[in-house]
Amino acid sequence: MTKQNNLALSIAGVSKTYGRVRALDNLSFDVAAGRFFVLFGPSAVGKTTTLRMIAGLVKPDSGRIEIAGRDFTHEPILGRGVSMVFQSFALYPHLTVFENLAYPLREEKLSAGEISIRVQETAAMLKLSHRLERKPNTLSGGEQQRVALGRSLIRHPKILLLDEPLTNLDAKLRHDMRAELKRLHRQFGMTIVYATPDELEALSMGEEIAVMRDGAVVQRGTPDELYGQPMNTYVAGKIGSPHMNMVQAVVTPDTKSFDTSLGKISPKAKRKTAVAGEAAIIGIRPNDIRLAAKGEKSISSKVHLLEPLGDITIVSVAAGKEILRMVLPESKATHIKVGDPAAIVINPDDIHTFRAASGQAMA
Amino acid sequence: MATSTTTWEKLGFRKAFRVGEAGWGHTLWVALVSFIYFLPVLIIVITSFKVQNEALSVPAKFFPTSFFGLIPEQYVFTPTLENFTSVFSRAFTTGGAVESTGFDRYFFNSMFIAGSSVLLALVIGTLAAFGFSRYPLKGNDTYLFIILTTRMLPAIVVIIPIILMFRIVGLSGSYPGIIFLYTAFNLPFTIWMMKSFFDELSLDVEDAARIDGSSELRVFFKVCLPQVVAGLAATFVFGLILTWNEFLFALLLTGADTRTVPVAMNQAVAGGGIGVLWGLLAAIETLFLIPVFLVTFFLQNHLLRGVTFGTVKR
Repeated sequence: MTKQNNLALSIAGVSKTYGRVRALDNLSFDVAAGRFFVLFGPSAVGKTTTLRMIAGLVKPDSGRIEIAGRDFTHEPILGRGVSMVFQSFALYPHLTVFENLAYPLREEKLSAGEISIRVQETAAMLKLSHRLERKPNTLSGGEQQRVALGRSLIRHPKILLLDEPLTNLDAKLRHDMRAELKRLHRQFGMTIVYATPDELEALSMGEEIAVMRDGAVVQRGTPDELYGQPMNTYVAGKIGSPHMNMVQAVVTPDTKSFDTSLGKISPKAKRKTAVAGEAAIIGIRPNDIRLAAKGEKSISSKVHLLEPLGDITIVSVAAGKEILRMVLPESKATHIKVGDPAAIVINPDDIHTFRAASGQAMA
Repeated sequence: MATSTTTWEKLGFRKAFRVGEAGWGHTLWVALVSFIYFLPVLIIVITSFKVQNEALSVPAKFFPTSFFGLIPEQYVFTPTLENFTSVFSRAFTTGGAVESTGFDRYFFNSMFIAGSSVLLALVIGTLAAFGFSRYPLKGNDTYLFIILTTRMLPAIVVIIPIILMFRIVGLSGSYPGIIFLYTAFNLPFTIWMMKSFFDELSLDVEDAARIDGSSELRVFFKVCLPQVVAGLAATFVFGLILTWNEFLFALLLTGADTRTVPVAMNQAVAGGGIGVLWGLLAAIETLFLIPVFLVTFFLQNHLLRGVTFGTVKR
């Protein structure tokens, strides 16, 4: 994979309102060429609008969009070198698979021979060769998805936009397609901007992720950065499965620890900006809670809920006023029953702290 | 549990909760009802092959042959093509010379006027419908409503102002006059019908075409229009049937040269002092039925099948 420093895409201060609804609010981010970039956030957060704007389907109210260094803010769609896969697949229902794949090439006025070669090539790559004469409505969901992908790839786009492409597929197919998309990205090396509300897709595919909220990017970084150093409770709550435990807390007078209904919790590193008596939120990853060894100093709790997931079990325990989720290997969870007492220990190394008022991380 | 077969089921009536093909009983029942509905048309077609006194005979003679003596003689008539030839030329007085009736012209008029006005309405209406669907005006629904109000009054109410308007601009009795009138008459229906078809299409598909490099014009012609072929066919057929059978406007706004069959039919059989020539009337009606019948027959595949059905997940 080639990683160049030049930017494939740069979005600067872009805003867009639909009537009274503000879809994008001073949105800025850039994407390095060849990067698999994920726009992550719940529905109606502006992901689709962002992609449609990159494609040129929507004009921004203000701000600037550059593609490969050239200002395309007010340019037409053509010439952007951008293609897009829609959530609904948006295949041409009246055309065969062959004609669906050929459509962008026909619009480029390529010769019939060239079109035929490129379509066969693309169809072979996506295992669609035996479906070329079929109409889209006779294909399975996975096949329709591959046709949509093929129609986007056949033009050799510089930037490929994917708008929740896996949402309409069943779970198994989704897994296969994740691998397939990564493979295609490696093979072609084009820039991908991928919008998804699914954190698993974001973390497993994204080389870089931008977490969006209310039409703006809240935090961007590699999956590890977002998981390890979430900037606020929003990102902390969205990234990581099962979700981070959030515990109400107050900074102790010596500012070294936090008083919670679980007792005093002391992160390993001191929070320099903490103010005594300040309301705070402590974030603890479910992976950072374990059962106490015999005689170890622990927090007593009661098992509240068990969610067995095969090799692991998510155990929710009630401690103090809080319900905490923890992840146990299946072997350790088999004897546990709802209502049992459980002694738990919180790993102090990876405790996240946030200001209760703003939700921002405490440094 | 053993499945018991009731007499009802033996007759072919399956239980209602079963999904599948209908049994013989239901099929026959539907056939019977359909036959009753079709009976008026059948009587007209049969009558067109009868001479005048057989057409008027009681009991009605229903069969063109006795089926080797199976049917009693009083129900059998002798088929003749005389009525069909007299549609186009006949002697108007007993023993008089055979003259042309002008019906070849009237049939041409009906086809030309109905065909061109329905096509014109389809072209204008489809473009307008696309506009209303994709580029809504401020107060879009109001405009659509106003368009429909033109069809809320019976024709007889608006005919007087229309006659006056036609007099002033000199369109009375001309082809353009009646064609424009029928086009206007068909437009509201065409616009509403086609708009609902365009509304059903996925906008993503059109955006996909834009990204694939299509201009707005090509998006319309290569992506939108092919998806509404079923709608075009249905609108065309309904418009054609309405226009083909229209009587009042044609009576008052066509001249001798532009007369359509429904008007001419009325004038051919009424009056003359010898009563209604039922055989002749039936022959004209039978011939009149054929063009619309053929058009509908050849478009029925498109009418029954929506090409976009089930292709788009929402």
